[in-house]
Amino acid sequence: MECQHVSYQYPRQTRGLNDLTGVFPPGQVTTIIGPNGAGKSTLLQLLARRLPAQAGQVVLNEQPLDQLTTKQLAQQVAMVTQHHQLYDELTVREVVATGRLPYHGLLQAVPANEVTPYLEMAGLTSLADELIQDLSGGQQQRAWLAAALAQEPAVLLLDEPTTYLDVHYQQQLMTQLRQLAAKGLTVIQVLHDINQAFRVSDWLWLLQDGQLVASGTPDDLRDAELLGRTFATSVEIVTVPHLGPYIVQVPD
Amino acid sequence: MTKHAGWWYGGVLALLVLTSLIALVAGTEWLGLSQVTWAVSHPASRAFVTIFSLRLPRILSSLICGGSLAVAGALFQAVFRNPIADPSILGISSAADFFKLGGAILLPWLPGRNWLMALVGGLIALTILTSGRALTDPYRLIIVGVALDATFVGLQQLLSSGAAAVSHSTFNGLTWSDTATLLGLGVLGLVVALILAPWANYLKLTDSALKNVGVPVNVLRWTLLLLGMYLAVSVTAVVGTVPFVGIVVPNVARRLVGHDYQTVLPFSMLAGAWLMLAADTLGRTVIVPSEISAATMMAVIGGPFVIILLQRGRGFHGMSTR
Repeated sequence: MECQHVSYQYPRQTRGLNDLTGVFPPGQVTTIIGPNGAGKSTLLQLLARRLPAQAGQVVLNEQPLDQLTTKQLAQQVAMVTQHHQLYDELTVREVVATGRLPYHGLLQAVPANEVTPYLEMAGLTSLADELIQDLSGGQQQRAWLAAALAQEPAVLLLDEPTTYLDVHYQQQLMTQLRQLAAKGLTVIQVLHDINQAFRVSDWLWLLQDGQLVASGTPDDLRDAELLGRTFATSVEIVTVPHLGPYIVQVPD
Repeated sequence: MTKHAGWWYGGVLALLVLTSLIALVAGTEWLGLSQVTWAVSHPASRAFVTIFSLRLPRILSSLICGGSLAVAGALFQAVFRNPIADPSILGISSAADFFKLGGAILLPWLPGRNWLMALVGGLIALTILTSGRALTDPYRLIIVGVALDATFVGLQQLLSSGAAAVSHSTFNGLTWSDTATLLGLGVLGLVVALILAPWANYLKLTDSALKNVGVPVNVLRWTLLLLGMYLAVSVTAVVGTVPFVGIVVPNVARRLVGHDYQTVLPFSMLAGAWLMLAADTLGRTVIVPSEISAATMMAVIGGPFVIILLQRGRGFHGMSTR
């Protein structure tokens, strides 16, 4: 997936994205980082085509995203958001089954055998017939991720997937994302925890005020001066035993 | 589907048969079952006329109207993501009623006038209802709907003042031709509704989640909304406005048979049919030889139900964010 001179301006706001060009390497985990209001979530919305690029284009496998039908898009790009609001009760099985909708007509039922593998993969088989509302935050997250994976996408987008998870589940999710990427899935996520981003990513996008400040491997971007300037604070990189380099903010 | 759904289906079917039999024998003149069977072979008898020209069309009409209204309510609740949305409370039915009356005054020559005018009224009310922000805000929806309803009721009173008391919302005096219209329109709409039931389930997801999986949200929303409107105005065209069936029945159905619309819709259809028949039969037997209209019966039962639902329920679906 790739951005070619992508711009987007919110109506009546100064916020937006300005002429972004860069790649998201296939089969790798890319994390978009940057201060609040830098345009991280907006970029994710554009990659999912929930917002239209006003200039430039998002390209997937050499095909502009806006040339795909909604159904083709849903077979290529899946998204897991922060808020999984449901208006009414659904079971875990029914939620995961929605991920198969891109492969079926609107009046066709989703066959059970297409849903089972994703329930198993997420370790939710025993909870399949529970209402998703009755599950813990971590289990709900797993169910929505299973639904996204059921779309068999080439690109998986995640908007702050660790927000409602405790440390243990965060770790588990990141391990799972790495495994998926190893199998060829392109993972693009927004994370707030900068150290987590550096630890789990193959590739980073650093945004500031709607501009792409830098992109590269974590080693490329682990630069106190660059990070300090982008986040408007003083940054030092220390080495923690058993963990390696760690980015800390130092008081002025 | 809950564990007991099968039992509830059995129960409502048994009630339907039982109530239909009672409705056939009960009334100003009580007939025994033996008299009913006797009348079948004596087409000239008074019992035959009572059963086949008065009671049977009335029973069939109540059944199809109850089923249609309950399903229409369930569809509106799914689309608006709001458990008390219903064509009668949101002004669709009163708009249909008003246009029907207007049609009778202005276009008396128009064939299929009542239904066509009711449909126009329903469409206009639906357009007003969905043109602003009501679609995304459950409170606004109900307030706009109630205002719309009051407006059309007022307009209708304005139009009918001076005219002799217009008889309203009753199954009394329905002919076989009315019944045939109701059956034709109702069965068609109900069959389509049962086929499209999975769409109502999809609308439990947010619009953006649906777009993510390539589902054309607006196609689903408008199809179900127009279908619900069609079912409701078809009843209004022949019978008039009957309130609350569409709120009471689907909400009870969800408690009894679970959250899946593929179960809720057929159950609502059966339970709505039963409720309407029971209300009408009760209405015409308790104070013989006078009678209470089904609409009045439903208002008396349905009003308190909605109050209880809102005071004790877990709030509007659109608002709960657990």
